[in-house]
Amino acid sequence: MALEILGSLLEVTVIAGLMIAGLLAVVIWIRNKTVRITYLRTVVQITSLVAIFASLPLLALWPSLVIAIVVFITIFFGRFFCGWICPFGLYMDIITFVRKAMKISYRNLPKRLNEALHKLRYAIVAIILLLPFFLGSPFDLENWRSFFLFEYQYKPLMIVFLGPLEPLVIPWSGVIGYGGYSLSYPYVRGITEYFPQYAITISIFLFVFLTIISSFFVRRSWCRFCPTGVSIAAIDRFKRSRWIPLLHLHKTEEKCTKCGICDRVCPLQVTEIYEQKGGELTTSMCMLCMRCVEMCPEQGCLKVNVAGKSIVESRNWLEPSRNE
Amino acid sequence: MVDKKKYVPEMTQKEIDEIRSSIKSASKRIMADYIERMKKTSNNRPEAMSYFDDIADLFGQRERELQAAKQDGTKIVGYFCNFAPIELIMAADAIPVRVNSGWYDTAKIGDRVVPVEVCPMVRSTIGAKMIGLSPYLELSDALISVLTCDGMTKESEILSDFKPVFTMPIPRVKDSAHSLRFWNDEIKIAKDYIERLTKNKITRKKLKRSIELIHKATRTFRRLQELRKGPPVIMGRDAMLVNQTFMWDDTKRWIEKTEALCNELDKRVQDKIYACPPDTPRVMVTGTPMIWPDNWKLPSIVEEASPQGVIVADELCSSDRLLNDPVGIDEWSMDDMFHGISERYLMSSTCPCFTSNDGNEDRINWLLNKVKEWKVDGVIYYVVRGCMLYAMEYPRLKKVLDNLNLPIYYLDTEYTREDVGQMKTRVEAFLEMLTARVDL
Repeated sequence: MALEILGSLLEVTVIAGLMIAGLLAVVIWIRNKTVRITYLRTVVQITSLVAIFASLPLLALWPSLVIAIVVFITIFFGRFFCGWICPFGLYMDIITFVRKAMKISYRNLPKRLNEALHKLRYAIVAIILLLPFFLGSPFDLENWRSFFLFEYQYKPLMIVFLGPLEPLVIPWSGVIGYGGYSLSYPYVRGITEYFPQYAITISIFLFVFLTIISSFFVRRSWCRFCPTGVSIAAIDRFKRSRWIPLLHLHKTEEKCTKCGICDRVCPLQVTEIYEQKGGELTTSMCMLCMRCVEMCPEQGCLKVNVAGKSIVESRNWLEPSRNE
Repeated sequence: MVDKKKYVPEMTQKEIDEIRSSIKSASKRIMADYIERMKKTSNNRPEAMSYFDDIADLFGQRERELQAAKQDGTKIVGYFCNFAPIELIMAADAIPVRVNSGWYDTAKIGDRVVPVEVCPMVRSTIGAKMIGLSPYLELSDALISVLTCDGMTKESEILSDFKPVFTMPIPRVKDSAHSLRFWNDEIKIAKDYIERLTKNKITRKKLKRSIELIHKATRTFRRLQELRKGPPVIMGRDAMLVNQTFMWDDTKRWIEKTEALCNELDKRVQDKIYACPPDTPRVMVTGTPMIWPDNWKLPSIVEEASPQGVIVADELCSSDRLLNDPVGIDEWSMDDMFHGISERYLMSSTCPCFTSNDGNEDRINWLLNKVKEWKVDGVIYYVVRGCMLYAMEYPRLKKVLDNLNLPIYYLDTEYTREDVGQMKTRVEAFLEMLTARVDL
């Protein structure tokens, strides 16, 4: 009984928080144009966190289905998932908000290190794809079936792909339990299940500590090598498959004054948007958070296209727009 | 006189006074004459322009204001190029004034120091300082000189005979991370210098406030340029004068008055009251900066010629480039503000002093964008003799514009009034050709 009350209380607080956040977003939507998309994005992130929380039982039952959805989103919308839905991303954004409030400035990773981390993701995914060859016979259909359903020996892979989706509170099997709910953190369940008993506490502590500290100083530090967002990265990597994603950043070279703002504000330190000479910008690093679109001061220079139609456009954010 | 001047020859006080008073009275006459002619050309000039006519008088209201401010202990910092970080100067409670000189007569005095082959704007500035003509140059406590072209580089050295000059070397290639790093350091050094000069600390809050003020100015500035996109509601000369007064006017007041002007122009767009017939050829001017008061020759000729032309856009660092780019701030931390400022001044500038492997593409793009958005019929490429950078860039631009089938006309001149008649003939021929094209 007490648990149910606690559960419904939690639900109410989450919904109330959501509404307040939405309201806040609307207020800021009117006033400061350089953070509009950021706040909208935060609201979407919180909403999807709640949605993921609600669908947790589903997550446990149909891991491959959820992965299919994630892969589907990433194929057709690019790393939109990373920027707008991923809960781990939200946590890191919240840490960034805290840092901003403390007026501490961020650090940038050296360009080479950033690119190396980016390539590391491919290595991780390549190793995962090679696993069926080592953990079973490659000619055994059963082996492949369990690989795609994350069963038996492939169960840890689920954590690799679904790790960032982990909400902070889950109804079962967390680390520190309280009243039927337990606290959790991205990837932590994986650590508890697959680390030797004596190393669990220290490794969890280290992981949480390191990710929080690193994302405090480096914006979105985990996203730079997270293997979940790699599927689109692979698609964008090859020129022939670049038409597949529906969502694209588009740059009009003539309107660009090369002021370099897009280069600086990008939380993943993507430089292609600044360097590329117009046209569709497809880089596997970009997670479509649209921060550059929102900060670009030139009307219509940067756009976000969905199947060729622009939905968001950069604009002279100094000026109130005409349709307001 | 005891003080040893490295460059400037000694002049007796009597000689200085004589020359100054004669040039000053002539200059006053010329300014009044130009404004009179501007009033005459535009058959219904916006009423809000009267403020700018007053503030355009270099020896008038603003000089007195600056003198009063100086007596109250406010420092005045003069600067030469568009690269000097005015946000920092304002954040230190000092007043930034741009002090490039446009006097023709002082160029001849500058000839005593530097050869005539040198850019006349540089010669004129040196001359103005030698006889103490320019009120803003005289009042400024220190000068910030950005070493853009060769003329500016040596000019700062010569002027250090008179005043403390802070030089800021600027990298010549923009598209590399280390240039930006270098310039960012330079901006930080400038901050230290300004703090030492004014004895005020530049705090985060103050800097934020001054950046926001300049944001407002940029917004107003862009609004005015947007209004010039449509049918001509304001003559180009008027708009250029408004832009140019920003260089010495009080920023808050300038924003207010320009907003008023824009409101009036908005009304005119609705009522379809035009400053000149809408089918007047639309001209864009690019090239060497044109500084009020004397170097107003080309805009006057274009807009007073028959057939008349109207300057709808320009690409001059004394006009359309002054405030076009905002400082983009990601987070309001001190670090990020400095990055924003250094990017705004270095990266988005289209000064021809920069070069790159791909041939300075951003400058060409910016010009092409202007040509398209402002529906320009013809371009006048204005170069004063001695301005190498612009002169050498002309063939490239001509090729680009030829591909668009857009006429471009190269006009080279000097800081002199003697060639006005001849220039008028040349400009009129060009405008005649444009009119024929418009009629087609």
